[in-house]
Amino acid sequence: MARLTASGIEFAYVAGKPVVQDVSVAVDAGEVVFLLGHNGSGKSSLLGCLAGVHRPSSGQVLLDGEDVHAMSAPARARRLGMIPQLHVAAFAYDVLEVVLMGRAPHLGTFEAPGPEDEAIALDALALVGLTDFRNRRYTELSGGERQLVMVARGLAQRCDVLLMDEPDAHLDPRNQFRVLEVVSDLARQRGLAVVIASHAPNSALMFADRVLLLRHGRTLAMGGVNQTLDEERLTAAYGMPTEVVTKVVAGRRVPRAILPRRIDRVADEVDTIAVHRADVERPGTLLDRVFAAGARRPQRLIVTGARGTGKSLWCAAVAETARARGLRVAGVSSPAVIEGGRKTAIDLVDLGTGQRRRLAEVRRADEPGTATQRWRFAENALAWGNEVLRAAAEAPGVDLLLVDELGPLEFVRGEGFTEGLAAVDARHYAVALAVVRPALVDEALRRWPDAVVVDVED
Amino acid sequence: MRLAPEPAQVAPGLGRTPAGPRWARLALAAGLASPFLVALLALGLGYYPIPVVDVARSLLSAAVPAAADGVPEVARLLVLEVRLPRVLAALLIGAALAVTGVVFQGIFTNPLVDSNLLGVTSGAGFGAALALLLGGGTVWVQAAAFGFGLLAVTLAFLGSRLYRTAPMIVLTLMGILVGSLFGSLTSLLKYVADPLDALPAITFWLLGGLTGVGWGDVPALLTLTGVGAAFFFLVRWRLNVLSLGDAEATALGMRPLHMKFGLIVVATLMTAIAVSVGGVIGWVGLVVPHAARIVVGPDHRRLVPMSLALGATFLLLIDTVSRTLLPSEVPLGVLTGLIGVPILVVLLRRNRTGW
Repeated sequence: MARLTASGIEFAYVAGKPVVQDVSVAVDAGEVVFLLGHNGSGKSSLLGCLAGVHRPSSGQVLLDGEDVHAMSAPARARRLGMIPQLHVAAFAYDVLEVVLMGRAPHLGTFEAPGPEDEAIALDALALVGLTDFRNRRYTELSGGERQLVMVARGLAQRCDVLLMDEPDAHLDPRNQFRVLEVVSDLARQRGLAVVIASHAPNSALMFADRVLLLRHGRTLAMGGVNQTLDEERLTAAYGMPTEVVTKVVAGRRVPRAILPRRIDRVADEVDTIAVHRADVERPGTLLDRVFAAGARRPQRLIVTGARGTGKSLWCAAVAETARARGLRVAGVSSPAVIEGGRKTAIDLVDLGTGQRRRLAEVRRADEPGTATQRWRFAENALAWGNEVLRAAAEAPGVDLLLVDELGPLEFVRGEGFTEGLAAVDARHYAVALAVVRPALVDEALRRWPDAVVVDVED
Repeated sequence: MRLAPEPAQVAPGLGRTPAGPRWARLALAAGLASPFLVALLALGLGYYPIPVVDVARSLLSAAVPAAADGVPEVARLLVLEVRLPRVLAALLIGAALAVTGVVFQGIFTNPLVDSNLLGVTSGAGFGAALALLLGGGTVWVQAAAFGFGLLAVTLAFLGSRLYRTAPMIVLTLMGILVGSLFGSLTSLLKYVADPLDALPAITFWLLGGLTGVGWGDVPALLTLTGVGAAFFFLVRWRLNVLSLGDAEATALGMRPLHMKFGLIVVATLMTAIAVSVGGVIGWVGLVVPHAARIVVGPDHRRLVPMSLALGATFLLLIDTVSRTLLPSEVPLGVLTGLIGVPILVVLLRRNRTGW
């Protein structure tokens, strides 16, 4: 059973206006759980309920099976450490004095801490790496150091659970990292259960084991970081188009950064034509628009759109219509091969001849040596693709050249179709279309500074 | 991997407690001894100077009558019957005002308040003025001052119950309102008071002073101040935790509002009795806590005893100056301001960073 279990929590400051509704969360020893959500989503209120400071109107919080709200305040504070948001202290206590205050729940009202408490406080300071700071004034420390002093105070409480309200607020990136790294290390090494309310989903990506995504006081999603923090949920949680930048690590694609999607910022500086997914039904008008755009000087179009908006489908429709009108189409596309509902491979198609080859296959999980990549590329297929592009670039009378699609392989690592692309760049066409994902639009614009961006929307 | 802790970038001595632990302990010891030494000197000073030895022997004679052999009877009587009660009152009132200042600053997490924050002194001033206007004797004036002082704080408390969201802020606001209300009422009393008889008496009382304090005033003062000081001394470490603010104190397993209520009740009783005996004496509750913090740091474990001792010494010094050095007695409340304000300015200047 989890160390701290909250089930069916409902809480309201004003009766009838609950700010937390039917939220359940469980935290194990040694685990870091992040509470994420917009301002007013109920993170801090939920944290208060977990800490026993707020009494939920329904549901209960159990610490090792014992009701947190039935415990006396000192008994609760001996096991549950709560670190409120950083504030400026009115009095300049020494760091050691501040850490010693963590002993409060262990001492009687008329008692003052003794040598034993002091030893515990010094141990706690050592654990956060601030031993040398013990005689410094707390008010003169940097925000990150003060936050670490608060962590030390929580450790001096000798608690099993540490609850933190926005420990990364007001800190520079280095200090955010430092504080969260110390806390997550402590969780692993000392079996501390940690709950962190935060406004920084990127901190969660780096340090959380699991996240609880709150929206208007309700659970939007709960689970492992990589599964839970996807574009769709984050967009819903923050009411803001959100982009998740991913990276392949140990053969698995994992989210590395969460960014607001600002395609319109690109649009401010660059010619953009917005295309709707449904326009695929009217490929004729589509082609006219493309050529109208391509008739302008650049003749390069960058087709983009979030995953699933149908940018490849759109390109295929354009190519087909062009062919139907007797235009000469060349280039490559890479349709997915779907077997049993799963993407198992990617083919490569020469749009000029219609020839098709297997480009890459998904590695099987049990395959040896699956260290770094999800896809196993067929070397000869890549070479063939480059050859197709070079031939298309050199062939006379090509009206429409299409490359679907370009990715980090080309833009970042200089592999894949880089060679063929260089040949394409050396020539001019009536229209050249390159399909890229939104995260790489800036990269593509750097390569083709005066290209027109075609933004395919749902 | 953990980032290595940053090396301390502050030069030795800077950013540390104003005093190392040993120095602080010495300063605390010196501070605690100061009221006794100053009292010994003050008892000898006056229109009729008495040598320190005779003062000591007179004091001893209270326990061992033979100790006063050879001391003039008039000196012994002056010390024991006239000066001792006044000196004791000055010590007790100074200690009470200073330590309640420390407590209020701690629980309101604001180093610029004193125990008059909730209107106790304003209420007491009104009570005394009312009794003087009605022609009451000393006992009535003191009783009225004490009673109205408590009434003012009670009103502030009741007012703060109207709003429950931010209890301490609303309480502060109510205290300021109640204080202003009683200030206006006192002005009204002065306006209608007989300018030849009651008005000077009211004005004089409001300026504070220990003239005419006798043994009759000491027992109540000693009892309430003693009990209050003992209570504050016992909970002195808890004051550290409370001074972090309600959120932190709650996180550390305390119930700050309960504790603060108790502390305010005790501090108010102490302030009310002090004001009822000595009149309105300002600045002690502001100047002394700051001076004490500079010497021993903000830790209430040392700050509470230090402010008790320094408060006692400070007020006794000022009362002795008022009694002996000046041609006619200057009211205490005026002198504490005249001396206390420049001291506070210097202290604030020297103590730029931490309180």
